[in-house]
Amino acid sequence: MNFLAPALLLGLVAAALPWLVHLIGKRRAVPVRFAAMQLLLRSEKRVSARRRLREILLLLARTAIAASLPLVFARPFTERATDFPAVSLEAQSAVVVLDDSASLRRGGTMLFATAKDKALALVRQFPSDSDVAIVLASQGSNPPVAELDPERSRVLQALENVRGSARPADFTAALRRAALILTGSPRDKRRIFVITDLQAAGWEGGTGLPEQKPPEVVVVDVAGETPWENRAVVDVRAEPAPEAGPTGLAVTAELADFSLRGTTGLGVALKIDGNVVSKGFVDLPAGGRTRKRFLHTLPAGSGSAHDVEVEIDADSFALDDRRMTHLELARALRALIINGDARTVRTEDEAFFIETALKAGDAGAALTTVLPDDVAVEGLPAYTAVFLLNVPHPSAPLAAALIRFVQSGGGMFVSVGNKVETAVWNERLGAVLPQPLGLARTASALPGQHAGETLDDRPAERLAPIDRRHPLLANFAAEGEGLASTRFFKYMLLEPVADTVERQVVLRYESGSPALVERTVGKGRTLLLSTTVDREWTDLPIRPGFLPLMQEIGRRLVGASDADATTALLVGQPRELTISPDDRRLEVTKPDGSVWVAKQDRGGASRSVTFTDTDEPGIYRVRAAGPDGALTARPSDAFVVNLDIRESNPARLAADRRPDHVPITTAGAKPPKRRVELWHTLAGVLIAFVLFESILTLRWRRTVLAEQR
Amino acid sequence: MPTAIGPQELAQLGSLELRARVIVEGAFAGMHHNLHAGTSIEFTEHKEYAPGDEIRRIDWKAVGRVDRYYVKRFEDETEMRTYLAVDSSGSMGYAGRGVSKLTYAGYLAGALAYLLGRQGDPAGLLLFDEETRQYLPPSTRGGQIREIFRLLDQAAPVGRTDPARALGHLGEVVERRGLVIVFSDLLDAETGEAGDTALGPLADRLRQLATRGHDVVVFHLLDAHEVELPFDDLTYFEAVEPGDTRTLLAQGADLREAFRRESAAFRERWRQACLESRIEYRFVRTDEAPAEVLRSFISARRRPGRR
Repeated sequence: MNFLAPALLLGLVAAALPWLVHLIGKRRAVPVRFAAMQLLLRSEKRVSARRRLREILLLLARTAIAASLPLVFARPFTERATDFPAVSLEAQSAVVVLDDSASLRRGGTMLFATAKDKALALVRQFPSDSDVAIVLASQGSNPPVAELDPERSRVLQALENVRGSARPADFTAALRRAALILTGSPRDKRRIFVITDLQAAGWEGGTGLPEQKPPEVVVVDVAGETPWENRAVVDVRAEPAPEAGPTGLAVTAELADFSLRGTTGLGVALKIDGNVVSKGFVDLPAGGRTRKRFLHTLPAGSGSAHDVEVEIDADSFALDDRRMTHLELARALRALIINGDARTVRTEDEAFFIETALKAGDAGAALTTVLPDDVAVEGLPAYTAVFLLNVPHPSAPLAAALIRFVQSGGGMFVSVGNKVETAVWNERLGAVLPQPLGLARTASALPGQHAGETLDDRPAERLAPIDRRHPLLANFAAEGEGLASTRFFKYMLLEPVADTVERQVVLRYESGSPALVERTVGKGRTLLLSTTVDREWTDLPIRPGFLPLMQEIGRRLVGASDADATTALLVGQPRELTISPDDRRLEVTKPDGSVWVAKQDRGGASRSVTFTDTDEPGIYRVRAAGPDGALTARPSDAFVVNLDIRESNPARLAADRRPDHVPITTAGAKPPKRRVELWHTLAGVLIAFVLFESILTLRWRRTVLAEQR
Repeated sequence: MPTAIGPQELAQLGSLELRARVIVEGAFAGMHHNLHAGTSIEFTEHKEYAPGDEIRRIDWKAVGRVDRYYVKRFEDETEMRTYLAVDSSGSMGYAGRGVSKLTYAGYLAGALAYLLGRQGDPAGLLLFDEETRQYLPPSTRGGQIREIFRLLDQAAPVGRTDPARALGHLGEVVERRGLVIVFSDLLDAETGEAGDTALGPLADRLRQLATRGHDVVVFHLLDAHEVELPFDDLTYFEAVEPGDTRTLLAQGADLREAFRRESAAFRERWRQACLESRIEYRFVRTDEAPAEVLRSFISARRRPGRR
């Protein structure tokens, strides 16, 4: 132990004071010649043990108090070896970047606890004239101490409150932020201390440091060089599987191995709504991936919305051992049919064919047919699908409403015809159309028309062989029975576009031109038929394949399409939710049971709110309170949040990509020592002794007073 | 009734005789104050004849019945003798804030002697510490009471306490049944330590006196300090009797409660022992008015039913 002010130790002689007072007090005792000595001695014998103990304790307490005071003022300290580099012992402006990303939650939260302890120790050992800020490395997180703060207790308190997150790391942003904070410091010594497991994920964007005079970076590795092995569920897709019946669903999970030896016999379980319904085993090659497909039929009456989860055998990183998705098998069809070419003769009216086909497939379907000018734009959210049949030119408000409708999960079917003004369509609805509309192409004479009084019997265009892998066509025979014989006399060519995963051609003409194209937009889906749904351009409406095709289209549009696109988010991603005018309140219940509430403004219109608190993987359930205040679940709005799979990869950051140029420890060199001041502890001991002495004296006096009474 | 004069006021008076008179007058204004109960010569017991016994007292009827010689013994009411035994050991000299216990004992003994003298009853005095210092046999002769006053006046608390020895001597010299009144603080008469005490030989002597038919009264005199221990500060206690080297350094306040309990237990032990031996026990604090003590004592003795 050393002292900053050793001269003050002379005050230790004060420790003798209580003893001197005791001895002097003895000398000053009043002498009394007393007759009842026998009684007195007997009394003394009864109380002496307790009295002596109390006297000794008091004397010791007072001696300790007298000795502690000069010790405290002499400011004792000791030196201890530290894990941190010597630069941490200098007075400086420092930003501690703490890695709170998901990968530090492996092994429970032990690794994150280690990182946090390191950060706390580091902050404590900075000299008292340093100023410190704290930045978190997880993507999108707010810094606990966003400015350099000289008040150590505040920094430590903020650090104590940090919890490990499930977000991915983004060191580029974190270091950029740290460097920005340091630009405000007038000191020469400005450093960034990064406390991390040095996982490569999160450094993809570089260090984020300025090129001109970047601050010095010190990396504190909390994981060590020992590699960790991991297996993860990196993707789960669920979709209706008509081949397994009306309530059939197919779940495909992609599993990855991040080890050098691979995994055999890895258990994989499928959970539907929290219950294990199927199990299997897979072998994973070292560092490779494999897919596991489950086919499951849900019991009748089990509802349309389901939580789907795939779980593998546990390993040290539990967060990525399960992955979820949410599937809505078939929502009730509430279709708005916008008839752009209404006819008085039903067999010439496009809406007639569509209504007939949809009603035949789903008696419960609610169909509303309107003319383009009669569409109530604000009422669109009440529908699950919109059919636009040969609509000439959608108005700008309608087009905007349709785009919002599709993006928020609605389904849109578009069929063309003579009335369609392609330029207007492409301009106003290009954002949701699967492909821009082009010129109309006539394949042959139109049926029923006479060219020069002669019936044109040239063969019309037909469909190319169908691809049954698409869910829309899964129920058709391999030869496309009911569709293959369909004749197309005229159709609209579509402008070529680049291939994307969101767009898929479902049906093609023999010429190769797309006949039916599907596009996923936001959480919704659009289907474009490049011909009419009446007999004007084709005889499709009178072919046997028309009914099943339209019914599948109806189901496809309202069936929430691709579950991943609509309801599966990654940790930290926001979720848009719609509050309708009838909603008074919207509640989101998080996986930990806590509830987030959004309230509707008085007399408010339909609006969307953004839920951003998607910090934990799991299922987020949504409930809404109507005008009567009763809460009802909205399974179709429920969503799942999954881990960003980048956090599953244990690959370490390559040495040449590390941002630090200061070695943490030098092999063989004497480790740096930090000064640990002890006067705080001593002051605490002093206060404890003072309290002890006070209590003892008080009790003594109370006893005496009670006896005197 | 006028308030009785306290011991400190009595000390202001000139002589013990005067003090005794004041005490008696104060205690018995208008009151008959014969110490001895009884009416006439009464047969009390038989005793086997021994050489020296008077032949005329042989009970011939008894000889006829049991063929052995017994002499009759009688209680002589008019010849009841009173022995005033005053402890004059060093501890009796302790005076807290008033008069010493020895002085106080003198007041009581003097007053009783004065009373007995006025009644024409023989009164004697035994002054003792570890041995008998003065013994004046009971007598009704003129000047007997004055002699008692003189001896009491001259008594000084000097020796060590051993009342058992002195009372043993008294038992030897007293032949006839009498009234033995002991004035002592009884301190250091006990043996053993705290929690394991015995009353020791003094209690045995007193019991023997009572067993022999003496009417024994014990005035247990204690100073107020020996009851309350009123010292607060750090005090260096020293024993008062010569040769006693016991000392104690203590905070008076710390010991007070334990001392009070110890003192009360001490008095209770003696009270119980006296009760068992049919001895009249009277605890007296030396700050009480002697006249009140005397009045209480005489009144109790006159009460019907007492032994």
